[in-house]
Amino acid sequence: MVQIVISSGGTGALARWMLVELQGEVEPRQSGSLAESLLGDLHYTCEGIPVLIVGHHILYGKVVQLEKPFAVLVKQGGASQPSPGEPQGHYTVTALIKTKLLFKTRPKPIITHVPKKV
Amino acid sequence: RSRAEVDATLQTAKLNSAELLPAVHCLSFGPQASAGECCLLQLEPGLCAELEAGRSLIIRGEKDEKAVLCSKDKTYDMKIADTSNMLLFIPGCKTPEELNADPASCNIIHSQIAGFSNNYWELRRCRPKLKKLRKLLMEDPYEGPSSQKDQTSTCSKYTTEDLLSLIQASEEEILHQLQVIDACKIEGYWRILEFSYEMKLLDHVTQLIDSESWSLNKVPLRTCLEELGSLEPREMIEHILLSYGRKYVDDGEVYFEMCEDKICRAIAQMLLQNAVKFNLSEFQEVWQQSVPEGMTTRLDQLKGLALVDKSSRPETIFLLKVEDLPEDNQERFNSLFSIREKWTEVDITPYIQDLCAEKQTVGALLTKYARSSMLNGVKVYNSRRPIS
Repeated sequence: MVQIVISSGGTGALARWMLVELQGEVEPRQSGSLAESLLGDLHYTCEGIPVLIVGHHILYGKVVQLEKPFAVLVKQGGASQPSPGEPQGHYTVTALIKTKLLFKTRPKPIITHVPKKV
Repeated sequence: RSRAEVDATLQTAKLNSAELLPAVHCLSFGPQASAGECCLLQLEPGLCAELEAGRSLIIRGEKDEKAVLCSKDKTYDMKIADTSNMLLFIPGCKTPEELNADPASCNIIHSQIAGFSNNYWELRRCRPKLKKLRKLLMEDPYEGPSSQKDQTSTCSKYTTEDLLSLIQASEEEILHQLQVIDACKIEGYWRILEFSYEMKLLDHVTQLIDSESWSLNKVPLRTCLEELGSLEPREMIEHILLSYGRKYVDDGEVYFEMCEDKICRAIAQMLLQNAVKFNLSEFQEVWQQSVPEGMTTRLDQLKGLALVDKSSRPETIFLLKVEDLPEDNQERFNSLFSIREKWTEVDITPYIQDLCAEKQTVGALLTKYARSSMLNGVKVYNSRRPIS
């Protein structure tokens, strides 16, 4: 039987990450990978409402405490032939996510006659 | 990005920075973000605490089984949940409360998105798949020390580790079930006693109780071991007492309060397994005569073991063990309805009780898998679909 272990690596407390939930898909502006490219600026209003500026859009969202937190799992490197009874795979819990920023409203386009290069 | 760039963007967006908190997160995709190395696991209550305490979870399954996830004491079905939204996971991203609580927080926080996904693993608590446990242990039941079989191969014998790698259940659920089925450890392997050997051991004990005129509630361990130790291994004598009695200590001595229901039930099984069915009243007579002095037999001791057919003339009784029936809900109901077309709730309950999930009732199961009707003023259940 396949056994895959999910463990936290044991060195101290787990990191706390945040989840940002957006509608639709995120695509790179130029073709090519997303790596290293900017997504946008995340602000909060004084009332605690998250505001995300992505490209030409403003998104308003809300902070949601997750009833069911997420664990972020990272697969550990390819194992050489595992022996029977030994786990055949290993995921490490890199972080826990207990909060998400949910952006559900339709993005508001930023209309300007001169798109400023930023 | 610099403060000036951020402010310029705010101005273009016509947002008033006075209405915003001073800190801003500039989000970009990290170098490994698209690599898809990270995935999300949604945690049921309790699992978060397990991980934070440093404990592991294990996914188990044969290639032809659906995977389950096990904590140290619970089992969960796993499936992939898709969402039409994009989920980005970001280290070091702060909530408004966290920013407000820390006045020294940096004005510009450069946060790198570690990864993104549009699906996650979803868990649902399920019944551990324990039927396989009995099946494995029945491959080689223990027949006693005089049996030649044990000297041969050890291939059908299982240690706790072996069981953990073969059964889709958590360790505690497996250990609990081993206790429920009265398994015992012999030379490091978990064994079930072969039924006739088990009855032989029980018979030694009940005969001794009778000849010593002990109360059924106060059977002394020490004397049993002394008197029976020459007939059977001491571990087996103690095991049978533990299986059929409740252990307690009185004044430094170990005693057992014998379990009348369990003993009567075992003796009924011994009688019933010899034929397809029995005349009910004849069976009841023989059964009462076969149990130890002072014990009273009752049909309700046989729930989940035998079924009475009240429609036959004369009434009959036959062996039907719930542990021999399928583990899957639909298959279990199909099997029960092919044995008998219509069931009363009283009759069917012992054969579906073990299917109930956490907080699920027998009534809920019946509503889902059966159809009810009235027969001679009594509510009965039959199959929702034709049974071939």
